[in-house]
Amino acid sequence: MTLTPSSEAPVDMSGHMTDEDLVLLFYGESAQPASVHAHLASCAACAAEYAAIAETLALVPAVTSPERGDHYGLEVWQRLRPQLPARGVLWTLSPARWRMQLGLAAAAVLAIAAFAAGRYWTPQEAAPVQAVNSAADAGAEERARLMAIADHLERSERVLLEVTNADGPFVDVSSQQEWAAELVDANRLYREAATQAGDAPIAAVLDELERNLLDIVHAPSKLTPTDLDNVRTRLDAAALLFKVRILSNDLRDRETAPVVPVPVSRKTT
Amino acid sequence: MDASDRTAVLIRARQGDEDAFGALVQQHSHRVFQLAFRMLGNEQDAEDVVQESFLRAYRQLGRFQARADFGTWLYRITANCAVDMMRTREHRLRQRTDPIDEASINAQTEGPSPERMAEGAQLGTVVENALHELTAVERAAFTLRHHDGRSIDEICRTLNLGKSAAKHAVFRAVRKLRVALAPFRNLSNVEAKS
Repeated sequence: MTLTPSSEAPVDMSGHMTDEDLVLLFYGESAQPASVHAHLASCAACAAEYAAIAETLALVPAVTSPERGDHYGLEVWQRLRPQLPARGVLWTLSPARWRMQLGLAAAAVLAIAAFAAGRYWTPQEAAPVQAVNSAADAGAEERARLMAIADHLERSERVLLEVTNADGPFVDVSSQQEWAAELVDANRLYREAATQAGDAPIAAVLDELERNLLDIVHAPSKLTPTDLDNVRTRLDAAALLFKVRILSNDLRDRETAPVVPVPVSRKTT
Repeated sequence: MDASDRTAVLIRARQGDEDAFGALVQQHSHRVFQLAFRMLGNEQDAEDVVQESFLRAYRQLGRFQARADFGTWLYRITANCAVDMMRTREHRLRQRTDPIDEASINAQTEGPSPERMAEGAQLGTVVENALHELTAVERAAFTLRHHDGRSIDEICRTLNLGKSAAKHAVFRAVRKLRVALAPFRNLSNVEAKS
């Protein structure tokens, strides 16, 4: 198509309009409708072409969708509700609030790390009452840490399952990638805290999880069946889903286990 | 439900209130089904897309901007779910190798005989077969343009396409339909002249 002054119809080298411009005219999206109509009035070939396009498109009947009853919305909701994934509070947050929550999580992790460091250094002059309170606080904070990691593992498991259960020639995983990216940030904090607290088994699973979440984040947003097979193979080889599930269950058990007071030796006078 | 009620329901749904999300589902189900059916032309596939669209919306609700229009946002999710469904169907069709299916596919591409074409009821079938021959993006763009009256710009935003890609998807769809429907057009010309 040649460039023409705005007052003239867009014509190609042969002096005729392209099918594309005629289709746009049919749908009311021509940039120069007046000049296009003027051209059609003076060009029999283009007018015939336009008539053919209009006639074809007029043959495409309007689609009448089957009727759905007044209670259709309720029926959809009843089918849908059992399928809804569990949603933690963090899941509903916007990216800005996610960052804020991650900041808070980081602060909490630092506090827990500080606690973990203090746990192995008990001042010899500590009074027995302080020691009992400290043990109770320690139990509460430990439970909070385990619960947070267990929640994180469950969210991560859902992302991994969504990706591995995907099916189709080109599966769009962009929403799972965004979700995985958010989980990577949280994972890093939990992993570092676990390392500092000396929880090597937790740190190892989180390390493996982080690498697999990053693989998902950096994969193409539309996965082919081969890509999906590769993801599944990697996860299967590492038995990652199994490890994540076992660790999550283990943490839940530890979270509900009774707190055993830390024995504190009483200084004899 | 007035605008302030709708906003309140949306806020509650974003905070994780399942009942509020249920209210949104009930409010939008009909429109979601109609769009899915227009795009897919198949009742069962449309129902599957309805389910999948609401599931995706639920998962992505945290990223929904409260000042945006929920219906428009859901429309985009549904259109993209329908495209995914079409791609899955294309994939299944390509994977089929049994002779019965090949024969039926050949019958679709060869088109009906002139006698059968003369039957008005065949037009819908031929159009539907022709639409099935389009790629997922061509069919989606054509449906949004032709049946839903969406502009090219709106199609770009809905399907996450560039302007040129959206235009050419519509153009290719029209070109393929012209080929498939040419016998009908000639027939209607003959009838008009006689």
